Amino acid sequence: MDIELGPEDLAFREDVRSFFAENAHKAGEDYNVWRLDWFKKARDKGGWDVPKWSAEFGGPGWTPTQHYIWEQETAQATLPWDMPFGIGMIAPIIMAHGNEEQQERFLPDIRGRKVNWCQGYSEPGAGSDLAALKTKAVLSDDGTYYTVNGTKIWTTMAQIADWIFCLTRTDDSGIKQEGITFLLFPMKQEGIEVKPIITLGGAHSVNMVHFTDVKVPVENRIGAEGKGWTYAKGLLQHERTGLAGISRSIVALENLKKQASTVKRGNGSLMDEPTFRAKVAELEIDLMASEFTELRSLASASAGSAPGPESSILKLKGTEIQQRIAKLTVEAGGIYSAAWGKPVGHKFAKGGMGGYLASRAFTIYGGASEVQKDVIAKNVLGLKRSSK
Amino acid sequence: MNFDFSQEQQMLQDSVSRFIQDNYDLESRIKSAGSKFGFSQDHWQTMAELGWLGLPFDEADGGFGGTQIDTMLLMEQFGKGLVLEPLLASVILGGGALKRGASTELKAEILPGLIDGSRQLTLAYAEEQAHFDLHDVTTTARSDGDGFVINGHKSMVLHAATADQIVISTRTSGGQIDEKGISLFLIDADADGVKRDNFPTVDGLRASEVTLQDVTVGKDRLIGELDGGFAILNDVASDAILALSAEAVGAMEVLYKDTVDYTQQREQFDHPLADFQVLQHRMVEMFMEYEQCKSLLYRATMEAAQGSSAAQRSVHALKHLVGKAGIFIAENAVQLHGGMGMTEELRIGHYFKRMIVIDAQFGNADYHLGKFAA
Ligand SMILES: Cc1cc2nc3c(=O)[nH]c(=O)nc-3n(C[C@H](O)[C@H](O)[C@H](O)COP(=O)(O)OP(=O)(O)OC[C@H]3O[C@@H](n4cnc5c(N)ncnc54)[C@H](O)[C@@H]3O)c2cc1C
Repeated sequence: MDIELGPEDLAFREDVRSFFAENAHKAGEDYNVWRLDWFKKARDKGGWDVPKWSAEFGGPGWTPTQHYIWEQETAQATLPWDMPFGIGMIAPIIMAHGNEEQQERFLPDIRGRKVNWCQGYSEPGAGSDLAALKTKAVLSDDGTYYTVNGTKIWTTMAQIADWIFCLTRTDDSGIKQEGITFLLFPMKQEGIEVKPIITLGGAHSVNMVHFTDVKVPVENRIGAEGKGWTYAKGLLQHERTGLAGISRSIVALENLKKQASTVKRGNGSLMDEPTFRAKVAELEIDLMASEFTELRSLASASAGSAPGPESSILKLKGTEIQQRIAKLTVEAGGIYSAAWGKPVGHKFAKGGMGGYLASRAFTIYGGASEVQKDVIAKNVLGLKRSSK
Repeated sequence: MNFDFSQEQQMLQDSVSRFIQDNYDLESRIKSAGSKFGFSQDHWQTMAELGWLGLPFDEADGGFGGTQIDTMLLMEQFGKGLVLEPLLASVILGGGALKRGASTELKAEILPGLIDGSRQLTLAYAEEQAHFDLHDVTTTARSDGDGFVINGHKSMVLHAATADQIVISTRTSGGQIDEKGISLFLIDADADGVKRDNFPTVDGLRASEVTLQDVTVGKDRLIGELDGGFAILNDVASDAILALSAEAVGAMEVLYKDTVDYTQQREQFDHPLADFQVLQHRMVEMFMEYEQCKSLLYRATMEAAQGSSAAQRSVHALKHLVGKAGIFIAENAVQLHGGMGMTEELRIGHYFKRMIVIDAQFGNADYHLGKFAA
């Protein structure tokens, strides 16, 4: 065991830092031009535009330590906007379970940030119990296309997505995990209706999506019919490890400390108030531990072994920490955090409330916390489900 | 010892409860909140006609001579409907200061209109540098001939846009954080030199930043003694905390009960969610926190109504618990509703937002824990 970074890792960190510094967005620069250019330059660095992709598909093939360094540095820098659904979610599925033709067809546009994807899993009756999904796909008599009917809900960014990856039911005769088929299809076509759902902060990011006789060619099916559940489960794993956000939380907590020390209390600041200070300290301690939980998880992954038990707690711990930081930010803003749509009082108070409200969803999506704990109880601790 | 409400109090509770049931479904509330003033003028008139705007004032002043207990009954019901009308701002805050400190003449001039709903008041006390300290005041009132000239900036003034008059805390002597040297004045909201910058708050209410530049005010508009406004301000804040806590307790009841209902209806894994033990226990915890808040609310309110010396400490305890428990209940109500809890479609989310604002008003849970422990 050795906690120090070796000379090669230090050199890598320098390389990453200078890349971020050299390619930072400059005032006045057209955002979209900069964004695409950034990804192009990152690609030229040897797959830095797709850090998590394997070397086989053009990724950088980093060591766990390099991934960790990247995470740390990206948390400090401002990277171009990127939707997680393409690069982080559907691409790994296509690599693992798509055929060569599909890989050639979809991966370049995903990598080029040319196509926005959305995730069509949840349904009104299938949230935590995802396998209960009912959206029906019926294969045509000649076996060339599916006809899809049904309703998806909570589909993030469906209103701007070009494509959807979608779980559909092709057979309901067996157990519910069987008979689920994984389909890809364009969003902008007849028979697809996207209805906005407004969430607590007044934002529109999630939607209800209705499918009426949507035709999907069989070439757009990933893997075998009826095996979609297995592929999706692998994807959920990807989603979850990405949601812990430990490095980002470390940076967020540092920011919060700075902000809180601008809130005057007596001769000192809010940071000198014992209760507030203790909450910050507790977060810092949890983050110190979580950072190493993440490292342990990375190390076991790189040793080629299955993710160890430590990785199962990352999403739970990470999201809980993000929520605590968001809440503490609201507390630091005092009454000014309540102002809505207008910056009032402490500069940081604006946005604090919106961030806090949004943070409540972190323990709901990507596997609600209660259900995640059930999974750990069963799979890691080997406990049987109670009769309840 | 007696926890029974009088017949009159029960009637009050029933009539407020009926009003909420008849008028405060979520859709109507959202419509009202989005209207020009952010609340319903009709409801405001109804509240005046039912006598609610005169509840805490002496009979001699045209009020009903009620105590904090009566206000508690009213506000608890208000909390169940998330009422938007500015009763807290006008009656408890603005009116509360007048009740305690205004001259007979000033009361006679202002209170009848306040009670019949034709006149609306509010209180401007918060300043950016003060965090939650009422005694941290930099807005100045300088003696000038027969009156005073006020300069400064007040923050997050509740419903100032629709207020006719504002009670304002100013510094007339002493240092920035001295309790002595604070004086309260009643100023016209549209007086020369008063600028109101209005905006909504996240819970659907309204507030304003108020800038005061050379605002002149007669000395007949002084509320209480010169330099002696802090005691009044502090008592008004205590009453406001009691009222807000009662509102919060009403809102907590809706949050936990809605969650109990929802989890019995929503099925996942071929079971109602309420079958899962971990959710049952969570809801029991929500219920326990609600009951504890209610107990402490009764305790603090009864002590305040009796003028007990223990009241101040109980008010700190109450605001701490209500902030902490209210947010616990609200966050878990959202969590147990899953994605639905995150939408504006169900009322859960609206109660959640009100709860987080209540915690931030008049000092949050940490602030009052500090005061209690001091
Ligand atoms: C902001 C946001 C964005 C989203 N984006 C997407 C998206 O892009 N694509 C997509 O497909 N989905 C998306 N989702 C949906 C998300 O995955 C679901 O909300 C989640 O799976 C929970 O399902 P549900 O909302 O139906 O809650 P439910 O499953 O009804 O759960 C409600 C509550 O019950 C608990 N519960 C459920 N089952 C059990 C059990 N067995 N034991 C104990 N407790 C239990 C849950 O933990 C939760 O607290 C999004 C959701 C949100 C809020």
